[in-house]
Amino acid sequence: MSAYPLAAVSFVLFTLAAAGFLTCGSLVRMLMFLELMLNAANIALVALGPGTVSQAYAVMLFAIAAAEAGVGLALIIALAPVFKTLEAENIRELKG
Amino acid sequence: MIIAAAVYLFGGLAALATLLMLFQRDPVKAAMLMLAALLSTAGLYLALSAQLLAALQIILYAGAIMTLFIVALTTTPAAWRDKPAKASFTKVLGLAAAAVILTELLKLSAALKTAAFSRAFSETGTLELARALFGRFAFQFELLSLVILASIVAAVALAASSGKPAVQPPAEKKEAA
Repeated sequence: MSAYPLAAVSFVLFTLAAAGFLTCGSLVRMLMFLELMLNAANIALVALGPGTVSQAYAVMLFAIAAAEAGVGLALIIALAPVFKTLEAENIRELKG
Repeated sequence: MIIAAAVYLFGGLAALATLLMLFQRDPVKAAMLMLAALLSTAGLYLALSAQLLAALQIILYAGAIMTLFIVALTTTPAAWRDKPAKASFTKVLGLAAAAVILTELLKLSAALKTAAFSRAFSETGTLELARALFGRFAFQFELLSLVILASIVAAVALAASSGKPAVQPPAEKKEAA
C-alpha cells in the first residue's frame, strides 16, 4: 500500500475542518473545527512518521489538544454572558 | 489488503462526518457528527496498529473533549447560539482558501505516491510506545503535566462564576472612562 492515500485522508480532513473554521461564525463551532484540524495533523503524524517516535509525539499532541479545548471553552463561557452572543463577528471589542 | 480497506473505510467515514458538519446548523447535531469523525479516526489508528492512540482517542477526544463541548453548549443560552446570515463573500473566500490549502498539500505530497507504507500490523506497538514515553521522551512527557496544570488553572480562573466576571463588558468600561 502506498503512503499517499494515508496522507490524502489526513489532508482532506484538515481541509474540510479548515473550510468549516473559515466559513462558520460561531465560536463553539470554530473551536470544534480547530480540534478536527489538530486531529487531522495527528493522523498525518501517525501515518507518515517513523513508528514509535511519531506515536509518542501524537500522545503529546493529545494532551495539548485537551489543554487547548479546556482553555478555549472556558474563554467562550466567560465571554458569552458579557457579549450576549457566540458569534465571532459580533465580538469586536476585546480590549480597551 | 485488509489494512488498506480499513484506511479507506474509516478515512471516508471521518471525511463524510466532517463534511456533514459543515452543513449542519444545529450545534448539538454538529457535535454528534464530530464524535463520529473522532471515532472513525480511532478506527484509523487501529488500522495503523496504534492501539494505545486509538484508546486515547476514544477516552480523551470522544470522551473528555466532547463532554466539554456539550457542557459549553448547554451552559450558554440557546438564544446566543442562533446564527445570523453571514455575508456569502466571506464563505466563498473561506472555501477558496481551503481549496488552495488542499491543492497545495496534495501537490507537495505527490512524492509519497512512490513511497510504500510497509509497516506491518503489530500487537506490541503499545509496549514500545510506553518504553519511548517513559524512557527517551520522559522529560517532554512530564513537561506536559505542567501544560495541563496551567490549562486547568486558566480554565477555572476564567469560568469561575462566583465573584466578579473575568471579562468586563465593553459598555461598562466606556462608562467608567
